[in-house]
Amino acid sequence: MPDTITPGEKKLRVVGTRPVRPDGVPKVTGLARFGADYSLPGMLWGKILRSPHAHARIRSIDTSQALALPGVKAVMTAADLPEQKFEYVGPERTAANFWHMTRGIMAREKVLFEGHAVAAVAAISKMVADEALRLIKVDYEVLPHVIDVEQAMQPDAPLLFEDMITRGVEPAPDKPSNISKRIEFKIGDIEAGFAAADKIVENTYRTKPVHQGYIEPQACLARFDADGQAELWASSQGHFVIRALTSRLVGMEVGNLRVYPAEIGGGFGGKNVPYVEPVALVLSRKSGHPVKIVLSRDEVFRACGPAAGSVMTVKIGITKDGKIVAADGVFTFQAGAFPTSPVMNACMCGFTPYDIANVRSVGYDVVSNRPKTAAYRAPGSPISAYAVESTMDMAAASIGMDPLQFRLKNVAKPGTQTVWGPKHTHEGFAETIRALMQNPAYSTPLGKNQGRGVAVGYWFNNGGESSANVHVNEDGTVLVATGSSDLSGTRASMALMAAETLGIDYDKVRAIVADTGSIGFCGISAGSRTTFATGIAVVQACRKVIDELRARAAMIWDAKVEDVVWEDGCAKRAGKGPGEVETLPIKAIAAKRTVTGGPISAEVSVNAGGVAPGFAAEFCDVEVDPETGAVKVLRFVAAQDVGRAIHPALVEGQIQGGVAQGIGWALNEEYIYDDAGRLANPGFLDYRIPVASDLPKIEAVLVEVPNPNHPFGAKGVGEANIVPSLAAVSNAVSRAIGRRMTELPMSPPKVLRALDPQRGS
Amino acid sequence: MAKQHVAATINGDAVEFLCETHQTLLDVLRDELGLTGTKEGCGTGDCGACSVTIDGRLVCSCLVLGVEAKGKSIQTIEGMAAGAELHPLQRKFLEHAGLQCGICTPGILIAARSLLERNPDPTEEEIRLWLAGNLCRCTGYNKIVDAVLDAAREMRRK
Amino acid sequence: MSEAPARVVFTSDFSDRYTGGVKEFEIEAKNLRGVIKALDELCPGLGEHLEEETTVAIDGEVQDVGYYQAIRPGCEIFFIPKIEGG
Repeated sequence: MPDTITPGEKKLRVVGTRPVRPDGVPKVTGLARFGADYSLPGMLWGKILRSPHAHARIRSIDTSQALALPGVKAVMTAADLPEQKFEYVGPERTAANFWHMTRGIMAREKVLFEGHAVAAVAAISKMVADEALRLIKVDYEVLPHVIDVEQAMQPDAPLLFEDMITRGVEPAPDKPSNISKRIEFKIGDIEAGFAAADKIVENTYRTKPVHQGYIEPQACLARFDADGQAELWASSQGHFVIRALTSRLVGMEVGNLRVYPAEIGGGFGGKNVPYVEPVALVLSRKSGHPVKIVLSRDEVFRACGPAAGSVMTVKIGITKDGKIVAADGVFTFQAGAFPTSPVMNACMCGFTPYDIANVRSVGYDVVSNRPKTAAYRAPGSPISAYAVESTMDMAAASIGMDPLQFRLKNVAKPGTQTVWGPKHTHEGFAETIRALMQNPAYSTPLGKNQGRGVAVGYWFNNGGESSANVHVNEDGTVLVATGSSDLSGTRASMALMAAETLGIDYDKVRAIVADTGSIGFCGISAGSRTTFATGIAVVQACRKVIDELRARAAMIWDAKVEDVVWEDGCAKRAGKGPGEVETLPIKAIAAKRTVTGGPISAEVSVNAGGVAPGFAAEFCDVEVDPETGAVKVLRFVAAQDVGRAIHPALVEGQIQGGVAQGIGWALNEEYIYDDAGRLANPGFLDYRIPVASDLPKIEAVLVEVPNPNHPFGAKGVGEANIVPSLAAVSNAVSRAIGRRMTELPMSPPKVLRALDPQRGS
Repeated sequence: MAKQHVAATINGDAVEFLCETHQTLLDVLRDELGLTGTKEGCGTGDCGACSVTIDGRLVCSCLVLGVEAKGKSIQTIEGMAAGAELHPLQRKFLEHAGLQCGICTPGILIAARSLLERNPDPTEEEIRLWLAGNLCRCTGYNKIVDAVLDAAREMRRK
Repeated sequence: MSEAPARVVFTSDFSDRYTGGVKEFEIEAKNLRGVIKALDELCPGLGEHLEEETTVAIDGEVQDVGYYQAIRPGCEIFFIPKIEGG
């Protein structure tokens, strides 16, 4: 277990400051290389053929004409990928069924969504590749399709898998359906709880699927050599996991694939899994040349995993003085073409901010003809929080209680039982709510057609496996290498933590992201784990380096190592006279490294535990235009318990970015399908994410209740901020118009209809 | 059809290239000239990641054909710094942490510079409206606006 | 002197699949390796499922399942589904 620094015990020198990040200059000068920016001599362009149908059996694929086209060097279908065993290996809630995963990469028996990859080509130019795709003949037997989650659950819905029997139901159903799984968590006795309630509020909510909206489409460059060794340059949220998944999908040993992390242009969970990498590798293997694949925006929307749509019902029972005595939620999520939406997360997070004795959460995972869901920022939790927090808003309003007071009265504390079993152990929820209540903007008076919405939200955060290597260069500068893909500045945080631990200046530390061939395994940069888990590895490696530096100083001084301390970047020992101190700065020790034993470095790999969850409390003020139904966000304040902000500007940025995504999710974003199950808005014009003129200044309030399990008290920050934001906006709109909104997105036609139900669409 | 020969000026340097008639200026910059600082986010002129200026006019290079560059003066992100000296906008984006993943940053910097050339003292609202054509998914635009305001302030002092 | 056993709890999903619906066990062990071994003896094959599919919360502190994790007498051990993020 790592040591901790108790706040107040020691003033921090660099942690908590806002220096420029090490990858900053390359990113503002256009020199930073993202996934699409790599090239190799002799490189071919790969392109993917995609299904025009939402659901169809593949009778045959004829690639012969494509292969014969001059300039085409390779063609592939799913036959070029090994079949995978059907089994749910490892974590049930994530996409670790390789039978599904290989079919997600390229279709076998059926295409299950419009845009499903069917074949691919590698050619000497993009133009020849496009022409080759047109020459591939696929014989489809078009089948009826279903997309909407409620329609997919109907008994007569078209089935994606004729043998899908719902798991988690006793006795097992005797007929197949599109419901892949039912899950349930419960504590206490909800019937008794509701019987004892003075008031019960209940509602049903619907959300549409949304996309993470990363501006950089998936891209990679692959090189598969004749001896079976391969290299991949790819932007992802974790090159080690991409290596593991891709090597298995392609049928090669992990050790034969080396993955270099390109800079990544946004992930938010959507780039935790491979899409183009196995295809590029196979095309490279077949052609004998490097192959580059860059997806178009259209392909990203049609084929890359989005967040689930849902239908949810939440029921809450309270006493007349505002104590919640029972809560019940049924959450039904659209998984896409293959099972496992994050409905389990949704069930586990929705009521967890609260201390409620009687709780039940039931979840259904339903497949339908669209791309399989991928993670999106606290996957599942923003969706269930939308339903739970809307209902909490109704409950608070029903007894005329301030919504933040209502949250504070019922907030979970250490010792509170969660619906999924363990008791809460970390502080911070109440403090975060109080910080929001004390924010001066919370008492801003509201005008006509304006409303204020409040919500809170919980996210597990994560720890896990990380590796860090710290090396003292010959001139006393320090290299910090980790395997954590850097999405938004974590290299700066690593450098700050290293500089703090070593007692040296921030600009004497260089933090880099090392490839899979240069460092030990590192888990994905997701789940808000990087600053926590990889930070722990960095600090532990620095401590080992300090021990080594002390030992070298002892050798230089011919002293006992017990008499040498490390302080302010120097080895120190008592001098000859009283009060005298001899020092050897890191630079001087580095200069003597050869005679004292050689290079000075340490590598540490950890499986970090002791994670503290994320918690956010937010309020949003909106103004609704009763003529157009347009909603203007006037102000948004988001308070989040960050433990300790290693780099406050980067932490604020996380909060602001998550809130902006939540606002888009609440007001504008949705997938729109036509009657044939084809996506009608696969572009940024009609899939409307917030633009600069849509948003006010988003105020981020950093609450710091340190996590004692991290050397600087850090808690994961990336995700918890989006969790309450959907409900905060919805509660604001509901209060502004005096009617409860129960569907997202609250686009202008929906708002107008809520204002005047008689109004035509 | 044979490729077209095009002569243009890019970031102040005379440049010649060959391109297909259907290739966009974005394709040419990235694939023919190796200037990968300009990014493709959508290919349909909706996200602004491919922003460049042509004879001083801000455009989406994915909506311009390579052959249209003939005889024109094009500015990309690679030409924004004056040698080793960063443009004030570039410096302020770093100071204010006006970027997270950085993919939209080249386009936003080009667009912001274009704004400040026309309006050296923009209000926050003017900045937001001008940058409405540049999508950012990471930052929520807060720190981008702060950076542009601060850069404008510094540039007015000079 | 006998020490209080640890209380080991599974979610109903996991227990339905692997322990015939039994959700709670009392296990004496010094570390998590001992707990996993004891559970595997009670339900053969359970050990591997625990290692592959679960995260563990020991007295509420969440971590990946690891052999070395110390178990104090009377502590509460929850095996919960592995968590991913975005």
